[in-house]
Amino acid sequence: MKDNLLLDAFSALSLGVIVVDSHYRVTLWNNWLALHTGIEASEATGEDFFVLFPELRHHRVGVAIHQAIFHNLPALLSQSLHRSPFPLFVEPTQPVERISQAVTIVPLGSEERYCLIQIVDVSTAVHRESLLRDQAHELLAQSLSDGLTGVGNRRYFDLCIEKEWRASKRNKKPLSMLLIDVDFFKRYNDCYGHHQGDECLQTVASEMRNALLRPNDLLFRYGGEEFCALLPETCADEALRIAETLRGRVQSLALPHVNAPAGVVSVSIGVATHCQHAHAAHIELIQAADRALYEAKHAGRNRVNASTGGCSDTTAPQWMPHHALR
Amino acid sequence: MSELPNISEIEADCLMEIFNIGVGHAAAAMSNIVNEEVRMSVPSLHFTTRSDAADELGADLSLCGISQHYQGAYATEAILMFPETASFEIVRMMVGDMIPAHELGAMEREAMCEIGNIVLNACVGTLANMFEKDLIGSLPVFRVGSSQHILNPADEEDDPILLMLRIDFSLERQQIEGYLAFILDMSALRDLREQIRIYISRLEAGIAPVGLSMP
Repeated sequence: MKDNLLLDAFSALSLGVIVVDSHYRVTLWNNWLALHTGIEASEATGEDFFVLFPELRHHRVGVAIHQAIFHNLPALLSQSLHRSPFPLFVEPTQPVERISQAVTIVPLGSEERYCLIQIVDVSTAVHRESLLRDQAHELLAQSLSDGLTGVGNRRYFDLCIEKEWRASKRNKKPLSMLLIDVDFFKRYNDCYGHHQGDECLQTVASEMRNALLRPNDLLFRYGGEEFCALLPETCADEALRIAETLRGRVQSLALPHVNAPAGVVSVSIGVATHCQHAHAAHIELIQAADRALYEAKHAGRNRVNASTGGCSDTTAPQWMPHHALR
Repeated sequence: MSELPNISEIEADCLMEIFNIGVGHAAAAMSNIVNEEVRMSVPSLHFTTRSDAADELGADLSLCGISQHYQGAYATEAILMFPETASFEIVRMMVGDMIPAHELGAMEREAMCEIGNIVLNACVGTLANMFEKDLIGSLPVFRVGSSQHILNPADEEDDPILLMLRIDFSLERQQIEGYLAFILDMSALRDLREQIRIYISRLEAGIAPVGLSMP
């Protein structure tokens, strides 16, 4: 009588419960799981857990089951680190998006070893969390944009380069960076005044931002009259082409600058592309772009120059910061 | 106050080696999750008492602690501790979020619990293998507070012996320093020393130590 009641209660639980024996065979499988996997208890019981969920064998779930059965160690799988390990769907006949899950795996039994897997649907909490996160991102975006030009500020650049650097390492995709300097800007300010200098920076920034067409390409004000662009998943040739487009667009603005040789406002651009190797730091990419910009300035300004050595080049001659040329 | 065990240099080295194997497994498990290189090591360990450990960590520093209780051959508790600010950094790096956290939300606490769970299971699993005794673990519990609160949340009168390990955790270029405390009862302590002795004699006899494999 009590056993039946226990089984009924077990079946009626509004969370997924699986009990696996020491041969990884499913011993118990409740209704909630049947509902969200489309696999009935009669089909699942006695089946090898890893036949039902082959993708979990080398996943932390598989390791945790092994640890629970053979070492009595419990495990917790958090939502943030494993979004949805089990293929569970609201409606398993329409498997669109997996249910967000929090999973615990604990050892059971003393003589015969089992392990109990509990899966909780945390979709509501995840949804609420993602709304809050979006809002936080929005607030963050406001604090991370440059007040004058509206492009990302230096702080935002520091956050983004770290993130893109890691992404590029992980995905083994190149990351390119453009360091852009407005030519003879000090002379511009001296001649036209700071107010018009600000307007010039706004116009140049907005033109360059519009010229960056891909959504993941980001423009930042790096400091003073210096901008930079981060171009994820972009190889050196492509970065050079984009840099040339930006340079051309600024020149076409034809903003008068009587103290510049060409008579208009122009930019010099240093291009660097990250060649993936193990322990490089992102400062090397910035330094390579800085070197390339220095050379562009040195070669007469209003031009694009790509870093030849790449970020790994430590044999290049001692370079001077291009700021020395201003 | 309980008497601190005298531990020789070779015994300490042996324990360090064992725990470094343990955290090595934990680092590998975490690398698999974040798909990036995670490194962990135990550069030092010592025996102390709970009250002294709380003093050493300082009363002012806010810590986050993940603890698991173990029952079976011994009743012990293992607690992994990080300075609270460092724990934000760990979660941010592991989850890959750009937002610098100032407070650990429910999701981040849960992620921190999992990280603690991985490290504690790896270390306790290694210890249990060495003892060749079964320990049954509980699920991790998360706490934030002073070292006193983390190490002795129930404000118990007694002052048990702790095995304190320093754990260095590095992910990408971030270096984070944490601590792992094992609260040991007298029989656990006695067995630990006995097992270290056996382990060393096996090494000296040139027999590969058993029980150090983890999944």
